[in-house]
Amino acid sequence: MATTTDVSNKIVQALADYLKRDAASIEPTHHLREDLGLDSMAVIEMLYRIEEVFNLQIPDQDLVGLTTVGHVIDYVQGRVAPAPAKSAAKTPAKPPAKTATKKPAAKPSTKSKKA
Amino acid sequence: MSTRVVITGLGVVSPIGIGVPQFWKAALEGRSGISAIPSFDPFPLEGYRSRIAGRIVDFSPDQYLPAGQGDRVDRYAQFALVAAKEALADADFKMDREDPHRVGVIVGAGMGGMVMGEREITQLYEQKRPHRVHPNFIPVITLNSASGIVAMAYGAKGPNLTISTACSSSAHALGQAMHAIRAGTADAVIVVGADASITPLVFAGFCSLRALSTKYNDAPEKASRPFDRGRDGFVMGEGAGALILESLAHAKKRKARIYAEVAGYAATSEAHHMVIPREDGEEVATTMRLALKDAGVTPAQVDYINAHATSTTVGDAVEVKAIRLVFKSRADKLAVNATKSLVGHTLGAAGSLAGVVSALTLTSGQVHPTLNLDDPDPACALAGLSKEQQTRKAKVALINAFGFGSNNAAVVLKAVAS
Repeated sequence: MATTTDVSNKIVQALADYLKRDAASIEPTHHLREDLGLDSMAVIEMLYRIEEVFNLQIPDQDLVGLTTVGHVIDYVQGRVAPAPAKSAAKTPAKPPAKTATKKPAAKPSTKSKKA
Repeated sequence: MSTRVVITGLGVVSPIGIGVPQFWKAALEGRSGISAIPSFDPFPLEGYRSRIAGRIVDFSPDQYLPAGQGDRVDRYAQFALVAAKEALADADFKMDREDPHRVGVIVGAGMGGMVMGEREITQLYEQKRPHRVHPNFIPVITLNSASGIVAMAYGAKGPNLTISTACSSSAHALGQAMHAIRAGTADAVIVVGADASITPLVFAGFCSLRALSTKYNDAPEKASRPFDRGRDGFVMGEGAGALILESLAHAKKRKARIYAEVAGYAATSEAHHMVIPREDGEEVATTMRLALKDAGVTPAQVDYINAHATSTTVGDAVEVKAIRLVFKSRADKLAVNATKSLVGHTLGAAGSLAGVVSALTLTSGQVHPTLNLDDPDPACALAGLSKEQQTRKAKVALINAFGFGSNNAAVVLKAVAS
């Protein structure tokens, strides 16, 4: 299971790749819009990458809280942590969203039909 | 008398050169931009009847554009940005000296953002993960992404339109830009034609339509041969052309160099068949006549035709039939060439490249060769077609462009006395 540092490094790296800048220059306190210059579309694109890195689906209602690099790290950490940590009450809509993820993810096994 | 409209800047992204000087030099030398498609990975190339195209190899937007400008748009829109940038610089057109609401952008595009379009569709259907469709999929495949990004790049806040009529798209873009300036809704319009869809699905679609050349897979440079007896279909190309159009008064006020006047335009529908032209050529002839009338010139005044000439068996013959209907005995006195013999059929870019070529032909007096015209087909012979470069002091040029969907366009350019 991913450690906090793993999550943090991966997120910072994903941001650095997206922004084409040095990962060392990105701080958890950085505001995505004010400090990193991401507009709302760019935040969505960046989260799209992070969803892929961590195999997550981030529901729309969780987006509002994600305004700094640190918020994103904490949020993802909460989502990928082992079961006990999942109780972080920040995102009550999470569990159903997660189950929803599983279903489509299970389907590719049937894709031989297409091929 | 209506407002006169002139061309003051040109830009090109093509398989025979990025940049007008490179393109024009290669065109006059008769260089072919057609090459073998190395792969459609992961699809077997054997599955494609045609395996050649007019490709732009090793294109990197960052080489031509400010960093990041082309990041969020598809390849065709990157081409559009590069061509527009060149045309604006060529025209010495400075947006900070213009009323931004008086500068429009009109783009012709046939297929649009198919690179991302195909990738996302493939992934969705293979992986069945709808939440992994890219957030930029819709903005990128929406057909006006090129006209949008060009406006954003330069702050052009006037009329912003995209015209999609398949292979005649950017000829209409030229004509509609002329109309906008004549109507007084813009002082200047950045006109662009662009397409970049040599992609596994689109290319397979054209193969299935039996529209593409298949006899010359082993000799790609021979494949695009308009008006030649050995032609067997068009060769798909990609690229962009851009032209800065402005009112004559506006151009004079800022002491711009003028290439030519956009003097007339006609848009018609054959209302006949999705992909086959009317064989008697009457509708094509009508389109040419209407454009000449709009320009106030008679067939006897025309010197040069940039033919649509895609190298299909039926299309080329119909076009020449129509030219004979309109020009009668003058048909054999016209200089005629086929730009698609050089770069293939660039679909939505074709009309704009024809515009660039015609403007350069009027200013230079040089008519680029029509490649591979080794054995002219008697069914579409014209005395003024040549596989050699010709010299012609042309004063009036006619551009033909026909598109799927029974669509016809013709544009008339006039030389401007210097």
